[in-house]
Amino acid sequence: MVIAVIVGILVFVGLVAALVAVLVLRSRHDEQAGTRVGTQSAHSKTISTVGVSANGGGARVTSSESTSGKTSENVHSRFVAMGVLAAGVFGSLAVRLFDMQVLESQSYRTAADQNAYTTVYTPAPRGYIYDADGIAIVKNRSALTVLADADVIDNHDVMMRLSAVLGIPYNIIRQRVQDTSLGAQSQRIISSDARLRDVAFIQEHSDAFSGISVEQRATRTYPYGALAAHVVGYTGSVSETELANIPSNRNVELGDIVGKSGLESQYDNLLAGEHGERKVVADSSGAVVSIESETLPTRGSDIYLTIKAPVQYVAESALAELIAPNGVIGTGTGVAGAVVAMDVTDGSILTMASYPTYSPATFTGGISQDTWDLYSTASSYYPLLNRAIQGTYPAASTYKAFTGMAGLKYGFADTSRTWTCTGSWDGFGSGDVQKCWKEGGHGTIGFREAIVQSCDTVFYEIAKSFFYAGTSQGGTISDTALQEEIAKFGFGQQTGVDLTGEEAGRIPTPAWKAQYWADVPTEAVWRGGDMTNLVIGQGDVLVTPLQMAVAYGGIATGNLMKPHLLKEVRNANSPDKTAVSVSGEVVATPDVSADNLATVRDALHGVGSASSTITAAFTAQGLDVDDLACKTGTGEVSGKDDYAWFACYMPYDDPKYVVAVMIEQGGGGAAVASPVAAKVMGALFQNASGQLTDVGSVAGSNGQSVAYSGSSSSRSD
Amino acid sequence: MSQPYQINTVRTPGRRAQTAAPRGGVRSRINIPFVVTCALLVVYGLVVVYSAVSADADYSFSRQIGGVVAGIVVMVLIARFDYRRLSDYTTVFLIINVVLILSPHLPVIGVTTMGATSWINVGIQLQPGEFAKITVILLDASIMARYNGRLDDPREYLKALGLMLVPFLCIMTQPDLGTGLVYLFIAAVALVVGGANRKFLLYTLAIGVGLVVLVFVVDEAIKGATGDYVLLKTYQRNRLLVFLDQSGSASTDQGYNLQQAKIAIGSGGLFGRGYLQGSQHTLGILPEAPTDFIFCVLAEEFGFMGALALLALYIALVVEGFQIAAASSDSFGMLVVMCIVGMWLFQILENIGMDCGLMPITGIPLPFMSYGSSFMVVNFALLGFMSSVWAHSKQNSRKAGYAVTR
Repeated sequence: MVIAVIVGILVFVGLVAALVAVLVLRSRHDEQAGTRVGTQSAHSKTISTVGVSANGGGARVTSSESTSGKTSENVHSRFVAMGVLAAGVFGSLAVRLFDMQVLESQSYRTAADQNAYTTVYTPAPRGYIYDADGIAIVKNRSALTVLADADVIDNHDVMMRLSAVLGIPYNIIRQRVQDTSLGAQSQRIISSDARLRDVAFIQEHSDAFSGISVEQRATRTYPYGALAAHVVGYTGSVSETELANIPSNRNVELGDIVGKSGLESQYDNLLAGEHGERKVVADSSGAVVSIESETLPTRGSDIYLTIKAPVQYVAESALAELIAPNGVIGTGTGVAGAVVAMDVTDGSILTMASYPTYSPATFTGGISQDTWDLYSTASSYYPLLNRAIQGTYPAASTYKAFTGMAGLKYGFADTSRTWTCTGSWDGFGSGDVQKCWKEGGHGTIGFREAIVQSCDTVFYEIAKSFFYAGTSQGGTISDTALQEEIAKFGFGQQTGVDLTGEEAGRIPTPAWKAQYWADVPTEAVWRGGDMTNLVIGQGDVLVTPLQMAVAYGGIATGNLMKPHLLKEVRNANSPDKTAVSVSGEVVATPDVSADNLATVRDALHGVGSASSTITAAFTAQGLDVDDLACKTGTGEVSGKDDYAWFACYMPYDDPKYVVAVMIEQGGGGAAVASPVAAKVMGALFQNASGQLTDVGSVAGSNGQSVAYSGSSSSRSD
Repeated sequence: MSQPYQINTVRTPGRRAQTAAPRGGVRSRINIPFVVTCALLVVYGLVVVYSAVSADADYSFSRQIGGVVAGIVVMVLIARFDYRRLSDYTTVFLIINVVLILSPHLPVIGVTTMGATSWINVGIQLQPGEFAKITVILLDASIMARYNGRLDDPREYLKALGLMLVPFLCIMTQPDLGTGLVYLFIAAVALVVGGANRKFLLYTLAIGVGLVVLVFVVDEAIKGATGDYVLLKTYQRNRLLVFLDQSGSASTDQGYNLQQAKIAIGSGGLFGRGYLQGSQHTLGILPEAPTDFIFCVLAEEFGFMGALALLALYIALVVEGFQIAAASSDSFGMLVVMCIVGMWLFQILENIGMDCGLMPITGIPLPFMSYGSSFMVVNFALLGFMSSVWAHSKQNSRKAGYAVTR
């Protein structure tokens, strides 16, 4: 290399030297012959051309000798000038070329390669999503994708034929061919899911469809329709903002399908495969000249959920039957609902249902604006909302398990004490009478019965004790002692479930109220009434169904588990091996005394058998109420019918499953929510024993609803 | 009339005369190194053009071959013709030049593309300004030949200068600054080699530079007053700005062209990327590859070595030219050859120089390399004149024994 350069330079220098040498030699020769040249030419001009040399020719013409000598010297210098010019031209060009082609060549070479090569990405199939037992909830199917080369834009006939065959308006076809959003060298997607007969026609008449090709591409398919839609989520083309925020270890290209919600989004990095990369050489007009190298795409990893699909199906069917028996919300009981079932031993979420639901398939290939608008209207009750983690509701009497435990801790309640419930209560003497749900009152009642019967009066007393014991009222304990006890069971915080968009709910505190009502100072004062609302889970209390399930699991086992939906990850290439496995994680062990916990458990144990409705519901599912610990709740929301709650765990002695059910505007917890919980609990046991394995298809929301007249039941928890 | 030659022959019985004589007249009149150099150049050019046009359907290699064949015919015809008969036709050349260069302005045959009225259409599309290079050379040479290598009279100098400027002024009506610059350079070579007074030349140069500066200043002033440049076209201005700021202006078309040209040259490296393998031009990234940027194709595919080979061939051609000029039997012949060589030098400098950012971008083709059959014919015609000068030079005339007498 170096030698070649040196040789090249030497050759060049030699050539330039030769040029100069020739010039010098030539000029000497000219000097010698100069006389003659000068004379000859001088004469040939001054005298007429005929017979010039006859007279001249010789150096003897002395008169012209000096002139001609001068002239030749003159000419000589002009030759030298031209020679210097030539040397300058070739010298500077050679130096410049040496600089560019030898010294700086590498950077130019890099630039040339950047010009020449373009990497085109082919999408990778996403991994499957299975339930805990390997039932595929989300799969791929190969969709026939009709692709057009970029130059089809010049072929009006082909576009017209495509329009006719695929039934897509010509203008849309044109737009799609012009769409370079996937890269100038990528083929344009004309139809991402064409019918087989249309594709067959195109392939049979390929000469009439030049530049059109058909590819099989993987697209999401949902064998059970909307089953677990809120858990798995939906997919869509990556957006500009998402592209701007992708982590460095991900390779997401424009046009890729990414998870947009649910686990598709949460575990997008696992589900998304490796792109196929096609390194192509493209010319200046963007046309692909040749393919340099190609790697095939790799399918993403499969994920297995903790969800039990058969149970999930039971839960979703139960909600649908209850709320919209004929598919129209408002014709049944309640307008929306959520069910969460969890394994209390490891936090595995076995069922997470939210109603109304949607079919993720509506998002495949892009959701239509009409459907999106429909899902965004109040009359559709927002099917995209995952009420299990995003819906926040007053906890109502289900809260009493926790506020009661707080009362026990501070001695504001104990099992030997009794209260008198007259149906109305004005413990603060403010004249603002608060009522127990039972109008006639419960009479004389102990702590256990207060939970079993859900007597509000007893809890008003407990709240009053907390209120006056607070330091701001001259007491000795914290103003938020009650809230702190509630918070021990995870309320007011995210549970940490592996889904995005989880709400934290709210435990109202004096500080929260002061801030919330900062603009209205008269409302910002923490009053005794806030405390009595709080103690029965009404007023400003907000919880999610998932928090409820986790908290009741906490009562059942004494541990707060971190709920999770991912069971394990398996590599698509070696599905028998588990790449990642998720095990239970204890988030916290609430600092409560074992005695108090036992007291509350005992009280919850009594709820089922005391209610004929609950007993009937659970017995119908083949479950023994003696194994059940549960609590009902009826949340009051101003201007709406009551929100029905039911939280339970089974078996009582050795807790395994916790189920929380919430029905928006369903009415009484026992009457409306407990049958749903009973069905789900029954399904859990049946599934565990292998009796329930069938999964059916769930329909997504059609957005239809009629005015809801309410459950017309009074509060009855 | 044959007497002096006999005398001369007797007086200089050199080796050359003796060895050359037995070979016969025709063969001795062929300057073998010159022919070999030209043949190598033309073949090299065809090889490169083949690669350049193979990627672009707009160009036809057979048309280029046709240009070469036509050129050779023209060259042979001219070579056999005694150039000295042309030395007195100054006025004729002037008229031919004016008519040729202004012909695109004629109705019917005149063609205007891209803002320049530079083409005529007579069955085939021609660029008369290109052919006029021949007559410009002949005109300038015939003007200066009168002064026998010495021009010290200011009035005569101005007269000569004025006549030489006529083709330039004509071509600027098209306008075609690139060809105009070639005309100016030919005139400059004729003046320098023709023996114009050094002082006059320096004055002329100073005034020329002053005029260029004035054009820019006035143009800027007009722009200030009316908001538009008038004297210089926007693309001319852009080319100059790109040249002055090579790194910062890649976003403009001109900047892009220069950038791609430099990438093509630089990426060639020492030995090039191989014949027909240059990605810059085969992919169409390099604009105008077969014509203005033909050197980039060569440099990309044959590398620094290939570029040096071309420069070496050009040097050889220039050296041959100098030899022919020095050996010419009259100052007209010498001037013609020097003007030809000078013009080529300028075109080589400008074309290769612009490709690697040494010169501003203009549309000046590279002799014997660039695609274009009329350009090829013109170059062969010029070779023909050089051959003619060689054939009628002193020693060859002596051997032929008839030349001087016509």
